[in-house]
Amino acid sequence: MKSLFQYLKEVFLGFYSLWTGLKLTLYYFTHPRKEIITEQYPENRTTTINIPERFAGEVILPHDENNKHKCTACTLCEMACPNGSIKIISVQEESEDGKKKRVLDKWIYNLGMCTFCGQCIDACPQDAIIMKNSFELSVYNRNDLVKTLNKPGSKLKEKE
Amino acid sequence: MIGFSDITKWIHDSLSSALSPGWVLASEFVLAGIAVILIVVVLVVVMIYMERKVAGFMQLRLGPHRVGPWGTMQVFADVFKLLLKESFAPNSVDKFLFNLAPILVLAVSFMALAPISWAPGLQLWDMNIGILYITAVSSIGVIGILMAGWSSNNKYSLLGAMRSGAQIVSYELSAGLSIVAVIAMCGSLSVHDIIMSQADGWWIFKGHLPILFAFIVYVIAGTAEVNRAPFDLAEAESELTAGYHTEYSGMQFGMFYLTEYINMVVIAMIGSTVFLGGWMPFHIYGFDAFNGVMDYIPSFVWFFGKIFMIIFFMMWFRWTFPRLRIDQLLKLEWKYLLPLSIVNVVIVAFITVMKWHF
Amino acid sequence: MSASAIMFYIVGALVLTFGILTVFTRKIFRAAVYLLLSLIGIAGIYILMDMQFVAALQIVIYVGGIVVLIIFSIFLTHSAGERLPSRLPKHLFWAVFLAATGLLLSAHVIYQFNYVASTIAPIEHSVKNIGEQLIDFRKYGYVFPFEVVSILLLSAMIGSIVIAMKTKKQ
Repeated sequence: MKSLFQYLKEVFLGFYSLWTGLKLTLYYFTHPRKEIITEQYPENRTTTINIPERFAGEVILPHDENNKHKCTACTLCEMACPNGSIKIISVQEESEDGKKKRVLDKWIYNLGMCTFCGQCIDACPQDAIIMKNSFELSVYNRNDLVKTLNKPGSKLKEKE
Repeated sequence: MIGFSDITKWIHDSLSSALSPGWVLASEFVLAGIAVILIVVVLVVVMIYMERKVAGFMQLRLGPHRVGPWGTMQVFADVFKLLLKESFAPNSVDKFLFNLAPILVLAVSFMALAPISWAPGLQLWDMNIGILYITAVSSIGVIGILMAGWSSNNKYSLLGAMRSGAQIVSYELSAGLSIVAVIAMCGSLSVHDIIMSQADGWWIFKGHLPILFAFIVYVIAGTAEVNRAPFDLAEAESELTAGYHTEYSGMQFGMFYLTEYINMVVIAMIGSTVFLGGWMPFHIYGFDAFNGVMDYIPSFVWFFGKIFMIIFFMMWFRWTFPRLRIDQLLKLEWKYLLPLSIVNVVIVAFITVMKWHF
Repeated sequence: MSASAIMFYIVGALVLTFGILTVFTRKIFRAAVYLLLSLIGIAGIYILMDMQFVAALQIVIYVGGIVVLIIFSIFLTHSAGERLPSRLPKHLFWAVFLAATGLLLSAHVIYQFNYVASTIAPIEHSVKNIGEQLIDFRKYGYVFPFEVVSILLLSAMIGSIVIAMKTKKQ
């Protein structure tokens, strides 16, 4: 008797769990306008396109309004990069009090070799680089894929 | 209002005035065949479009929407592509059986349409064993699948065919038993009689809980019989590439694809005829005014509405549930559906003897 | 010749052709398929005789059940895809001899029998009538064979369960 009860309970629990799934898909089916996430890309690229914030498109080095960035040229990102698509060129610079200091000269990023793994972002101790959600990255000339991320004349941001 | 029986009578009369009786019969056979093929092909086209839209919406996609308005021409484009492709047979297949299999499968699924009653007075063959005939004929289809899987000389195809065979042979039992429940109450196997017995209410409402249970079992077993997800082990893409039709291309593959949808139509037609009253409008015994209003909705609207409701159920299942494993599949049939349906048939027999149904 | 006679001869020719092909084909899976087509032809003959119920049962039992079982057992055999070896002359001689003897014997019996057109009214073959006669215990009822067959099937089922049952290891 107990096993029969157990058997019937199994059947009802099975139906209940199936109904849970069916409810969700029925909700999706009856609310197409609200739930559909497909982007009709070429048509809506200037209007309603919605690229999620955390989409990993390309590496950028953000500059603030005073043309200052946070990169200390420690080259940890260069070492972390599995494909060698980052090259940090630094120069020794002497400050007023005679101290020698390494300063970023060129932050070179080869987009054509990047696999967007994000390990450089994880490696950066200063959080100087981030990944932008841009995705229309194709160019007509291969040389255009090699980018210098720091803007001309930019400086290291002082710590507050 | 002109009924379908008037139209068929008019065709019969005008043919009789021009031809001798034998030729009248022959030409009526041809006309009826063409009509059924046309209706079914249109239904299949609608269903393929519907399936892709339903699948899209349930998976948060848009479905086809580029070819034609709202993507309606997509199906025609796909069929056109299949027609243009070469029907290619690999080198070491059994050519005779390989080419016979899709034809057999398609012919069998068309044969099952013979006793279906489409509308009042529109039925090809009202045989006195209508429902039994459909279940009998649809059991030939499994041979075509076994043939396709065997003759392809490919282990994926063979595995798919064997799975399909085991599945169809076992699920036929519970599908049959759930239909038996209604037949016991109604007392006839003829499609026409079954529909006429539901004039004062459909069996799913008149037959209390046992018939509702039988309907659920029927929909599950019917989904399994047409090899659709979650029971699509016969063509499981991720493990068997495409199962028994891996080696087929062009219109031979198209025939298998068409067959899957025609079988769906047949399952939905039997389900709607047996449980939901076929073309019979929704009637409640005693409410004459309400019944009169319901009669104004044309019968073919009722019939196709019910068919598409069951088809929507099957699509809903397909795009919700994950695929079963073969042992789970057989366990579901032999440990759950079959014992429960046998108990159900006994309960139905008791209700019928005591005349507790309406 | 009426249309139904023509149909009978066509269906009969198909049944015989596929029967012969079943025996003479050298590929075992094809033999099963020819057997299937032959059995479908027999169902067609039943329909010509207006016995639709028997025809449907023929298809359900033989085509849906037995031929599928045969095909499954062919799938599970080892060398199902190869052509069977050709026959030895000695075997061929005995096969032809026995077949010819059987054919002559049955032809002799058939030609000896004096056929007369039956005057008995055809039985009512609706499903209801068949079902009632199957469990009828009066004259011309079939309840005894029905019960004997059900006992046979029950014992077969119990036997298969006993064979398939796993004993719990202590």
